[in-house]
Order: sequence, then C-alpha cells, then structure tokens
Amino acid sequence: MGLVDLLFGILSAAAFGAAFGVVFTRNTIYSALFFVSHLLCLGVLYALMQAPLLGVIQVMVYAGAVMVLFIFAIMILDISDFEDDEIGERPKALVAATALVLTFTGMFFAYTKGLTIKTALAEPAHGLQPLDTDNVVRVARVLFRDHVITFELIGILLLVAVVCVMVMAKRRLEN
Amino acid sequence: MFMSVEFALTLAVMIFSLGALGVMLRRDPLVMFICIEMMFNAANFALVAISQYLGLIEGQALVFIVIAVAAAEVAVGLAIIIAIFRNEKHVDVDAISQLRG
Repeated sequence: MGLVDLLFGILSAAAFGAAFGVVFTRNTIYSALFFVSHLLCLGVLYALMQAPLLGVIQVMVYAGAVMVLFIFAIMILDISDFEDDEIGERPKALVAATALVLTFTGMFFAYTKGLTIKTALAEPAHGLQPLDTDNVVRVARVLFRDHVITFELIGILLLVAVVCVMVMAKRRLEN
Repeated sequence: MFMSVEFALTLAVMIFSLGALGVMLRRDPLVMFICIEMMFNAANFALVAISQYLGLIEGQALVFIVIAVAAAEVAVGLAIIIAIFRNEKHVDVDAISQLRG
C-alpha cells in the first residue's frame, strides 16, 4: 500500500466525514463550512485520480465561487430564526430516508457483484504517473473540438441564468 | 487498496445517499440546497472514477459541463430562496406551497 493510496483513503474518509457533518450539524453556517472542506477533499481526490484540471476547477468554482454565494445568502438572511431544526423530529422521513439509503447501497452492491470489477484505478494499463500533464490538452480537445456546440450552449445557459437572476432582483426592488 | 474503482464508487454512493438523506431530513432550504450540491458532487466523483478506469477523457469533459450547469442552478436557486425569505420572515419549506412574486 503506497503513500498515494494511503492519502486516497484518508481523504475519502475526510470527505465522507465532512458530508456527514453537513447533514447532521444544526447550525447552517457550520453546514456550509463542512461542505467547503468536503469540496476541498474531493478536489484533491480528483488530482490523485489524474484529473488535475478538474481538481483545480473544483477548488476555484465550487469551493470558491459557489460557496461564497452560499455564505453570502446565509449571511444576508437571518439564520437565527431557524436554528431549531430537529433532525429526529420526523420519524416518517427518517424511515423513508434510511430505506432509500439501504436500497441505493444494495442496488450498488448487486450491480458491482454482477460486474466483478476487480482492476484497481492505478493498474498498469493507465498507471499512476506523477501528474498527467497531458490532461488539460485532452480535456480541451474534447470540449473545444468534439463538443464545441455543447460548450457554446453552456455559455448561453449561464447568460440566461444571470439575466433571470437580475430580473428577479429588479422586480423585488420595484415592490 | 484504496485506489480501486469499487472503493471510489462506494464512496460516491455513500455521499449521494447522505445528500438524499439531508434533503429529506433537514428543513432549512439552504442546507437542503447544499445537500443537493453534494449529490451533484457524488455523481461527478463517480464520473471521474469511471472515466479514469476506462481511460476515456470524455467523462472529465462531462464533469466540467455538470459543474457549469450546477453553478447556473445555484445562482437561480439562491435568488429564489432569497426572494422567498424577503417576502416572509420565518420560512419552513413545508410551508412554501406557491411561487408567487
């Protein structure tokens, strides 16, 4: 078991623990901060899985821009109003959620057992090189040459989203 | 030992299930939204693991696209949540039954 392998395991445990913290902390701002650490762990995991570009994008876009938006929203709203969020208060929801989790996990194990994937991520075929410097070039080739229309559509989508948000904010000001 | 497809996919499934659990258990709309983002992230993680396993770079391009769509979704969703909170102070998601301006 190499050092990278050990790091992968530790970061996975940290990511899961942070996700657990997001769900089971009462305070909204603690949830957001747990989510930031969860995203950072996932970013490093991407880099370990030879996707360094996605790791950087994850840290910059998610842990940076998106979480700043979230924390801005939490700060702009008065969070002291709904801190009394009792988790065990809704037994029906708890039962349904647990059933869903068990179903997902069971489906997953049935699926992988039928599939019998036994090869490790870092097996010789695509072995773990120090860092795949070619990664950015390859992703860019897919995004800008093979699927360039999708890329343009995403630009339009972001533009529409920004205009939509501005329209909503403006109407609120007029009231 | 840890860097295997099974381990990565199991982690993705567990994070996705935790996100679904959070959406169902929490009542604070912001935390529910964060949990939805967590489910997005679990799907992304599974995509990266599978793309790495199969040696296909398209999975990573797809994750890029998903991140962009999720960012747009966060902008619109947070605007809606803030608009609802501005109109009525104390908001329980069970109490929001209509989307009027």
